[in-house]
Amino acid sequence: MPDSATLEAVNIDQDEGNFSYPEEYAHDAGYGLNEDTIDFISNVKGEADWIREFRKKALKIFESKPMPTHWASEDLENIKFDDIRYYLAKGQRPTRSWDEVPDDVKQTFERLGIPEKERKYLAGVEAQFDSEAAYSNVKEELEKQGVIFVNSTEGLREYPDVFRKWFGKVIPTGDNKFSALNSAVFSGGSFIYVPPGVKVAHPLQAYFRINAENFGQFERTLIVVDEGAEVTYMEGCTAPKFETATLHSAVVELVAMKDAKIQYITVQNWSNNVFNLVTKRGMAHENAEIRWIDCNIGSRLTMKYPGVIMKGRKARGEVISIALANDGQHQDTGAKMIHAADETTSNIVAKSISVGEGRSTYRGQVHIPKNLKGCKNNTECDALLINSNSRTDTYPAITVRGNQHATQHEASVSQVSEDQIFYMQQRGLSEGEAMSLSVNGFVNDLVREFPMEYSVELKRLIDMEMEGSVG
Amino acid sequence: MPTEELMAQETVAPWMAAPPVYDNESNLPDWYQKFREESWKRFVNTADPKRTDENWRFADLKKSKFSELLPAAQVEDEAALIDRSEKSRLTDCAAHYVFANNRLIDSDANGLPEGAICLPFGEAIEKHGDLVREHFMKEDRSLGGDKFAALHGSAALSGLFVYFPKGVVCEKPIQVHHYVGGNQQVIFPHTLVVAEDNAQVSVIDMFETIAEEEQTLVIGVVDLVAKNGANLQYVALQDESDHGARHVQINSTRAGRDARTKSAFINLGASWIRNESINRMLEEGADCQIFSANLANGVQEYDQRTLQTHEAQHTTSDLLFKNALYDEARTIFSGLIQVQPGAHHTDSFQTCRNMLGSDKAEANAMPGLEIDADQVKCSHGSTSGQISDEEIFYLQARGIPAEQARQMISLGFLNESISRLGGEELKEFLFRRVEKKFANLL
Amino acid sequence: MSDSLKIENLHASVEGNEILKGLTLEIPKGEVHAIMGPNGSGKSTLSKVLAGNEEYDVSEGTVKMDGVDLLDLEVDERSREGFFLAFQYPHEIPGVSNANFLRAALQARLPKGEEIDAVAFYKTMYEKMDALQMDRKFTGRSVNDGFSGGEKKRNEILQMMMLEPKYAVLDETDSGLDIDALKIVAEGVNRMRGPERGFLVITHYQRLLDYIVPDVVHVMVDGQIVKSGGKELAHELEEKGYDWVTEELAVA
Repeated sequence: MPDSATLEAVNIDQDEGNFSYPEEYAHDAGYGLNEDTIDFISNVKGEADWIREFRKKALKIFESKPMPTHWASEDLENIKFDDIRYYLAKGQRPTRSWDEVPDDVKQTFERLGIPEKERKYLAGVEAQFDSEAAYSNVKEELEKQGVIFVNSTEGLREYPDVFRKWFGKVIPTGDNKFSALNSAVFSGGSFIYVPPGVKVAHPLQAYFRINAENFGQFERTLIVVDEGAEVTYMEGCTAPKFETATLHSAVVELVAMKDAKIQYITVQNWSNNVFNLVTKRGMAHENAEIRWIDCNIGSRLTMKYPGVIMKGRKARGEVISIALANDGQHQDTGAKMIHAADETTSNIVAKSISVGEGRSTYRGQVHIPKNLKGCKNNTECDALLINSNSRTDTYPAITVRGNQHATQHEASVSQVSEDQIFYMQQRGLSEGEAMSLSVNGFVNDLVREFPMEYSVELKRLIDMEMEGSVG
Repeated sequence: MPTEELMAQETVAPWMAAPPVYDNESNLPDWYQKFREESWKRFVNTADPKRTDENWRFADLKKSKFSELLPAAQVEDEAALIDRSEKSRLTDCAAHYVFANNRLIDSDANGLPEGAICLPFGEAIEKHGDLVREHFMKEDRSLGGDKFAALHGSAALSGLFVYFPKGVVCEKPIQVHHYVGGNQQVIFPHTLVVAEDNAQVSVIDMFETIAEEEQTLVIGVVDLVAKNGANLQYVALQDESDHGARHVQINSTRAGRDARTKSAFINLGASWIRNESINRMLEEGADCQIFSANLANGVQEYDQRTLQTHEAQHTTSDLLFKNALYDEARTIFSGLIQVQPGAHHTDSFQTCRNMLGSDKAEANAMPGLEIDADQVKCSHGSTSGQISDEEIFYLQARGIPAEQARQMISLGFLNESISRLGGEELKEFLFRRVEKKFANLL
Repeated sequence: MSDSLKIENLHASVEGNEILKGLTLEIPKGEVHAIMGPNGSGKSTLSKVLAGNEEYDVSEGTVKMDGVDLLDLEVDERSREGFFLAFQYPHEIPGVSNANFLRAALQARLPKGEEIDAVAFYKTMYEKMDALQMDRKFTGRSVNDGFSGGEKKRNEILQMMMLEPKYAVLDETDSGLDIDALKIVAEGVNRMRGPERGFLVITHYQRLLDYIVPDVVHVMVDGQIVKSGGKELAHELEEKGYDWVTEELAVA
């Protein structure tokens, strides 16, 4: 049940992301994808030759890979790669001050509340508008400690010694068709480096905004956290509701060195026309911890399975995932845990909610290869169904070699019945409030794991989504 | 493009040159001959399993490659096999049949209840053609084994047709031995069990090789039909040579209103096995239970795929698969619970437990759920682990040596699925067979 | 016209079967009425129709609550208007704590922009829980999830006390209660009695009416009120059984 402030916010934000400004771009790579597109992007960015070559190689891999429809949704076939624009930018350089951001872009982010959040509780912000960052700033004291927080173009240009070593190493170009696509045309995204021992107390935030129709956003994020350092990174995403499909295909790589900790939080609220096909993976070295908190609301089809490769002894990986699939939406999400060292532990808790005709799917992989000792995995997947036309699927795959490990997987399905809704309505709640209360109750134990601000944000998005689902 | 090329290549070299020819073929009806021909065509035109096929995920595809297979020839010393079968005969069975390389060599059907039909396939097709035709090979083999089923369809003539008319009840099992022998030789045992309304029937198929060290193959299909209120139990005990034997068995179960079925796979032998089991709950009150107990060692690979599909309201199913793995053994379990639209008030459960007894054994589990209905209680669980030291310590503290303790715990682990079956002698018999393999392991 | 919950000629059916067949009943504010009747007489149907359960089709009749046409309102609007149903089988809502649920229900009654006072809310809730001898741990537990029968019924009364309805219908609240729990529940209801509230107590047995003494007792048979009288009617029914009423009707 939303409090009055939330209700108010709901009324204003019912269509929070659903607005766009007229398109005026200085750089438009046009429709379709070929080597010229890549030259266009590389030229605009003034990239080094190795990056240009990296992109062209990736293009070939992208073209040669089939759609993964042998296991995934056939809706993927509906992506028309020739009808998409791969690079759109206003020619802006990211500024450190909101005052210097072009007016329409600034208004966009103000409507989304980013500058306000930055003032309140963030250590740094990057705001990306279509292909390029419009704003990028990190608190001065962090900069003094050596924390780098820039966009991908700048990261590869200014700090090659820090980032090139890991770039494309956690997720190879050919990992899947969409990681290859991203590698060919990536633009924007965050490159972060946290030096040894630095514990960034407040989260760093990125905000990804699609403004243009028939556009593909391909940000690339690489976060390297050095020995004993810690960081929390948060990303938010929105796009207006267009008639035609929009593509978002990011690649996110995390590297946690010995004893480091990374927490990566996503609260996504894409509109119903977005294909959201994202590859996310982290590499945890000895005694390091990588934690993905992934909340997927909205989009037409999301396919996202954050993973952790536990490369060093006692490394830990965790995925906490919440997916809400409403009418016309398919959330195909999950997790991938690759144990590659002794005594590594992983934990997956996935909760999905299917409403109306929505469909949610959990897909997971846990891999414990031979010659390891003392690995543990725990997986829980719970699904909640609301209304009779929704659908939920669970497809985990667990491989264990050797007798020194323990894995445990459990899944269950429950639902909010009409009787429960009736009972709550008899106490004075509207149908939407009753559903919202049930959903929030279902995910409550997970939401408690989030930093305060994000749990409030998530709750608000769930309320909005449930209000909207009452026909 | 590459996949089409691959298919073209594979169709050039099928596993077998031609379907087998049988002595009594001229007596067989046209529909059956036509079915065989069509099955052969389908076999030739179906591609081999591919890595990208979800139904073959984790499978070692080298083990499902075949060439130069020969339809099994008549066994020389049938009398010796009959003697051998007597040694593992249940004392309290309703009927007893022995097949060797596709031929019936012995039978005793004196304990069958009146009205029950229990005949080898060739004879059943001749005498009860319409009845057989109504149920013969009706199921789609959607779990990946279509090519095997097609080959089977082009060749099936051994095995039993069991038909229990309305209300005919028999608690004692019908026991069937299937022996296979000879290098590259393949048998096609077919089992079709039909229990009409309120009938009760129990069948156990036993698969064994005649000699060690031979490259043999079994491609079996088992179709179980339980009509309203029927009670049907089926057990497959596979104890073939673990050197060269390979074994494919594709099961289907259809359960009508208030029907109850139990089916089980017990795997002890063979170098590679593939079990598929489709369980369909077609009408209200249908209940299907599926069990498996597998003891794998050496380099054995056991690959099992199951489907529990709920097609009507108020249906229930339960699956319990247990694997004990030693040495470099591999197991693959892929199970799917499917609740079809409208199949409300379904209770469906699925559990796969793996006990790994060596650091090179590998267990793969893919427990799946697809829920498309309301008021559903579904869950699946899968665990992998090993016997805990505390458990062994507890038994040792009671005076049991560690090795024996280990064996007792593992046996108990596997016996959990066996104990869910019906028939005391049958359960004891299966337990002893598992125990025997354990004894050889240590 | 004084305030009342007024049901006139109410006809309702489920899946084509008519259950309520022209039921007429008026509960003036400040009074406690009881409905008794044999199994299958339509008592529980009446409570669900009043609450607005969509499984039931109302084909004829009116229900006015202080002049407001109840049948025109949605389930939650009826509740906010002051109608309360204590369910015979209260539903479990996993994951939603009692405290959050009650807060949400109270918040829904406030005008937009007005915020519930959390401190006052907890204070009031604890008082009422103490009165019902409910452990405070219940506030953090999910609504009715894993509650015993008696705990569920007490929880229904707690909700009623918190929401302070104008009219409350108690549907078989005594079922599944031992005598001690029954007394506690009755005490809770009695504390709520007063000129500003009307009650309709639906029960199969007279036992509950020893503790919640009604002003009027109605007998319901086959979807209609067939006899009304004072509290002594309940005792008469208990003694002579429902057949007595049916026979009397047949004679008349």
